[in-house]
Amino acid sequence: MKKTILLLLVIIVSLSGCRGLEVKGVSKPMDILASSIVPVAKAARPISDEEEYYLGRAVAAKILSSYPLSKDTKVVEYVNMVGQTIALHSDKPYTYGGYHFAVLESDEINAFACPGGIIFITKGTINATRNEDELAAVLAHEVAHINNRDGVKSIKQSRWLEVVKIIGSKTVKEAGSERIPRLVKLFEGSINDVFKTLVVTGYSRSQEYAADTKALTYLSRAGYNPKALEDFLQRLYSQNRTSQRGILKTHPATMNRIKNVKKNMPVKTAAITPARTKRFNRIVK
Amino acid sequence: MNILISIVSLLIFVLASVPVHASTLRVVTKENAIREYCKFFSPVKLKVRYNDRLDAISKEGDWFRVRFKGIKGCIHKTAVEEKTFTFSGILGSRTQAASSDEVALAGKGFNPEVENSFKSKYPELNFQTIDMIEKYKIPEDKLLRFIKSGGLNLPQ
Repeated sequence: MKKTILLLLVIIVSLSGCRGLEVKGVSKPMDILASSIVPVAKAARPISDEEEYYLGRAVAAKILSSYPLSKDTKVVEYVNMVGQTIALHSDKPYTYGGYHFAVLESDEINAFACPGGIIFITKGTINATRNEDELAAVLAHEVAHINNRDGVKSIKQSRWLEVVKIIGSKTVKEAGSERIPRLVKLFEGSINDVFKTLVVTGYSRSQEYAADTKALTYLSRAGYNPKALEDFLQRLYSQNRTSQRGILKTHPATMNRIKNVKKNMPVKTAAITPARTKRFNRIVK
Repeated sequence: MNILISIVSLLIFVLASVPVHASTLRVVTKENAIREYCKFFSPVKLKVRYNDRLDAISKEGDWFRVRFKGIKGCIHKTAVEEKTFTFSGILGSRTQAASSDEVALAGKGFNPEVENSFKSKYPELNFQTIDMIEKYKIPEDKLLRFIKSGGLNLPQ
């Protein structure tokens, strides 16, 4: 008899989460328990793809206030075709707003992956590449940062928790006029967090190495020669040992990146085709 | 009698905790497409938009075979969010309710309303150019030719 009661209790506990099941003296405490748990779950919610997209747009707009956009339509189209090819071979071919590649009119060697999918590459970087595979390698590294959501990770945790607190708060929902200014302030802070990481401090070493490693995979999947990443870094290292501008300011020591790339190089590497060389020379050189 | 109760309770317990086959997918990109075959560059049968709910039929590698507005086709796994249901979910559990709540909250953080207020505060930021960058698209047939002519691999 005791066993039967015990088993019945197990059934009641299993079903106690079911809406509409009214068990006197059980459903009420469960409601209280659930309402105290839900806010914690909400607070732990990560930034959504849609929110990442709006953040990325603003970060991109801020970058454009420092770098003018190139109007070279042929190069822009070419960069987009190489970039889209890589994105389709990445772990996340679709983001909320999609991938978009734009060229910055600057001699600096740099590239920026804004959260959500807008990727900027400078004219200086394009000119520093020697073939389409090297250009693909630079773009693959940036696509990997987007796949890894590295931009979003630079937002201060306390700031994001504050956002979640605001959108989950009933009192703030009621006082809607207060909600937007507070969210805008946090939006602005988040933009600054990401911008600072992208343009000033750079990602962590581990994030950079992870992006390089993923880039090798994307290149290999797409049929580009992954060794192009090593070649590009090697040349960057030889030519700019003393420079502290652009990519060299925000990325870890190039020699360490080369070591990491060599270590993770896929066994099978595709050769660069004459057709790719021809179109690269026609458009870029 | 006790054995029967034991079996029933065990079944309920297992069903309540193990997800069974998913039946609904939510589109998580601004726009996407249901394609004829489960591969990139396959003909588009129907366009879908953010938050559209699709019925999942089966999964084929990185693609879902789906049905939407009576049309069957394929959509890539990264364009949708899989809503898994548990037995307790079917009965309307609290887990499911919390998940729906999270979906509702997803659009209430950084959204167009916040962006518009931010734009008004910083009119010097060039969002028009960002819109232009986003509108720029390479037609699929052109990208396909680019991949093939460059001796590159077609994405799967």
